[in-house]
Amino acid sequence: MTFPYKGYAGHYLEVDLTKGVVQKKEMEKEWARLYLGGSGVSSKILWERTTAETDPLSPDNVVVVGTGPLTGAMFSPSGRMMFAARGPLTGVWAESHVGGFMGPEIKYAGFDFVIMSGRSKKPVYLFLRDGKAELLDASHLWGQETDTTTKMIREDHKDPSIETAVIGPAGENQVLYSGIIVDFYRAAGRAGLGAVLGSKNMKGIAASGSLGLEAYDMEKYLEANAQEMEKLKDPLWKDSLASLRKYGTTDLVAIINEIGRLPTKNHWTGFYEDADDIGPEIIAEKYRIAQEACHGCAVGCKYIIRVKGGNYPTEPIGGPEYETLMAFGSNCMNNDIESIFHMGKRCDLLGLDTISCGKTISFAMELYEKGIWTKEDTDGLDLTWGNVEAQVELVEKIAKREGVGKILSNGVRKAAEQIGGDAWKYAIHVKGLEASGQDPRAHQSIGLTYATNVRGADHLRSISCIEELGYPKIAGDRFSPEKADAILEIMSPKHKGEVVWDMEDLYALVDSAVICKYATMWPPVFYYDTFVNVIPALTGMEEWGNPKYVRLAGQRISHLRRAFNHRLGVTRKDENLPPRLLSEPMPTGPSKGGLPDLDEMLDEYYEFRGCDRDTGYPKEAKLKELQLDFVVDELKPKGLTR
Amino acid sequence: MKEILTIDLELCTGCRNCELACSVAHTQSFNPKRSRIQILKDEVRNLIVPMVCLQCEKPLCQEACPNGAIVENEHGILFVKEEICIGCMNCVTACIYGGIAIDPQNKKAVKCDLCNGDPACVKACDYGAISVASIKPEGLHQRRKAVSPAFQTLGIQIEEGQE
Ligand code: SF4
Ligand code: SF4
Ligand code: SF4
Repeated sequence: MTFPYKGYAGHYLEVDLTKGVVQKKEMEKEWARLYLGGSGVSSKILWERTTAETDPLSPDNVVVVGTGPLTGAMFSPSGRMMFAARGPLTGVWAESHVGGFMGPEIKYAGFDFVIMSGRSKKPVYLFLRDGKAELLDASHLWGQETDTTTKMIREDHKDPSIETAVIGPAGENQVLYSGIIVDFYRAAGRAGLGAVLGSKNMKGIAASGSLGLEAYDMEKYLEANAQEMEKLKDPLWKDSLASLRKYGTTDLVAIINEIGRLPTKNHWTGFYEDADDIGPEIIAEKYRIAQEACHGCAVGCKYIIRVKGGNYPTEPIGGPEYETLMAFGSNCMNNDIESIFHMGKRCDLLGLDTISCGKTISFAMELYEKGIWTKEDTDGLDLTWGNVEAQVELVEKIAKREGVGKILSNGVRKAAEQIGGDAWKYAIHVKGLEASGQDPRAHQSIGLTYATNVRGADHLRSISCIEELGYPKIAGDRFSPEKADAILEIMSPKHKGEVVWDMEDLYALVDSAVICKYATMWPPVFYYDTFVNVIPALTGMEEWGNPKYVRLAGQRISHLRRAFNHRLGVTRKDENLPPRLLSEPMPTGPSKGGLPDLDEMLDEYYEFRGCDRDTGYPKEAKLKELQLDFVVDELKPKGLTR
Repeated sequence: MKEILTIDLELCTGCRNCELACSVAHTQSFNPKRSRIQILKDEVRNLIVPMVCLQCEKPLCQEACPNGAIVENEHGILFVKEEICIGCMNCVTACIYGGIAIDPQNKKAVKCDLCNGDPACVKACDYGAISVASIKPEGLHQRRKAVSPAFQTLGIQIEEGQE
């Protein structure tokens, strides 16, 4: 039977790198119906094709390159795509998303997914054009930085319209937090998926397509689309949108410092005195030269900077996001903005995750401060807080795995294990993933998000900005007016289990659709009803017009990703926070004294999620309700269900 | 009243939503490569150059067409008659503004027909970069102001006096 749904390209690719064989296959109907696309479909594929024994950097690991029905289908913001595999940094579920233009291009070239397994004998890249796919020699690209790689691929094919997703030297060297770079300065940075490609001798993917996508009912879809855009343009969100367009995510440096949640000095505190030096105004005034947007996006948070003169001049490049400013700035006590631009740029060219890289450097700086490390351990580098030259040098060493960079390229968890002694106290991670730019001592629910996020300590699977930025109406509408006050209380654990559970399923759909978190996360406009509204008209999947079905689909995806981790040994004890964020009260700033009540929130979360409180394992009945019987079949005999 | 599209390069973010809208309006599909407006990009030089038909007074494309496929519609706007076009590309070579191209699917020439007076791309641009100007002198001035920097950066000289 042919794949019946519209909005999708309709085909996927099986790439066996060991044999060098590419097979084109028709999309599976059930993937779309039950898991929508992106993250959801990837969880199904990886559940089937990996086991508890799959070594993340061996040929056995499988990388899924995914798009969703909305990718490239003129829904703002829908220029996105994702990658997933068992992660080398964490050993558990790893997925990373990225905007730009590559996701739509893959679909216009005729494919919704690419599944890569094995290991190529020599470097290769995958080239997609109008329904055809081939593995091409990448020997000449191996060792090249990401921008040069893209330029060379475009030249090879004499086609400047080709979009790419490639790894840099860091990925080739299998730095455990290397990422995949799209369109020069957009990154699927987190969780080390670049290293997985590197381990497969796979430089990346290039695509150009003119096949186009259809809608099931174009008129209805455009109308639904317009309704959603109308919501986004509500005067209520005018300021948020204006801020995103003017500052991108850099505005968060100021907003978040104000609530005392800006990670500073390796997460020691949440308030940075010099935040203005690395903040939105100086960037907008002095360095920003243009605004950009991802494919079909009306938010337009991207911006271009240029630096003339100084120690770190640069031609126009994509400006850093909030997370990069935090990781190389406040968190390393570095207020030299031009050096942060430089390190952000180097990470893009080398193919490194700026968050994990910056946070591994701040970890090293704290070891140095505490005397656990001396110059003998650091190749003679003086790792005093704020020493910019040393920071810059470390970025290069990490990408090359050279000298002290060798141990730091493993991320803070493994590095701390290798160093021993008290080093673990300064390793700020969950499940091995370095924490992103939030702090649960100033925002209770982010603690629960960090703890339960399937890929480790970051915000993107379930952060709630309802209480962070204060949206009383949304709190009342989504939960109940009675609960709204307690929800808005940022330091109260009350109802946060429910809020994070709700967000996690919502983002599971966002990550499967695949759309950007903006307009869902902040401003919090799109909700479950958005999918009910647009998915049936675009795809023809009628069941997606049923709000209950859509909710259950979100739950199904969340549960399957959790099950993937349970199979690898994750239990409640791993859904935890690093000691510093759990039990050292916030020492300074507006949120001074704050600590999260993680256990209380976790109990409530498990209740809503349909999991056992003691272990975090899923309840059998819940899995069956979600048509995850195949998960029961595998987990139950191992005692991993309740 | 004859009209033209003008694009403000300062406002354009390169999001390609105009391409999507144009492809929907003309091909009922999401397919930027079949759009009548094309956003050319050079990330390395930070260039974003929207290319669309300028609705010339002395249309080089029409002159170059051996088959007479480029004709005026009822609004006085030149469009390509698909049934007559043989895809020879003479018009594409003739137009120095990149305003006409070959549709990658049906291999016929396509150019902006101003959507019969209701331009889809204008509505789709959330950054207000595209507007419709009249063919009166002010409008022409706006057109030239918008395209000059782009063509200069691309090394294309605008012939003075042509307007
Ligand atoms: S909000 Fe920003 S990151 Fe998201 S799609 Fe739009 S431009 Fe890209
Ligand atoms: S829609 Fe507007 S901002 Fe986007 S590429 Fe087209 S002209 Fe530029
Ligand atoms: S006016 Fe219509 S035909 Fe012309 S570029 Fe815009 S959408 Fe395309």
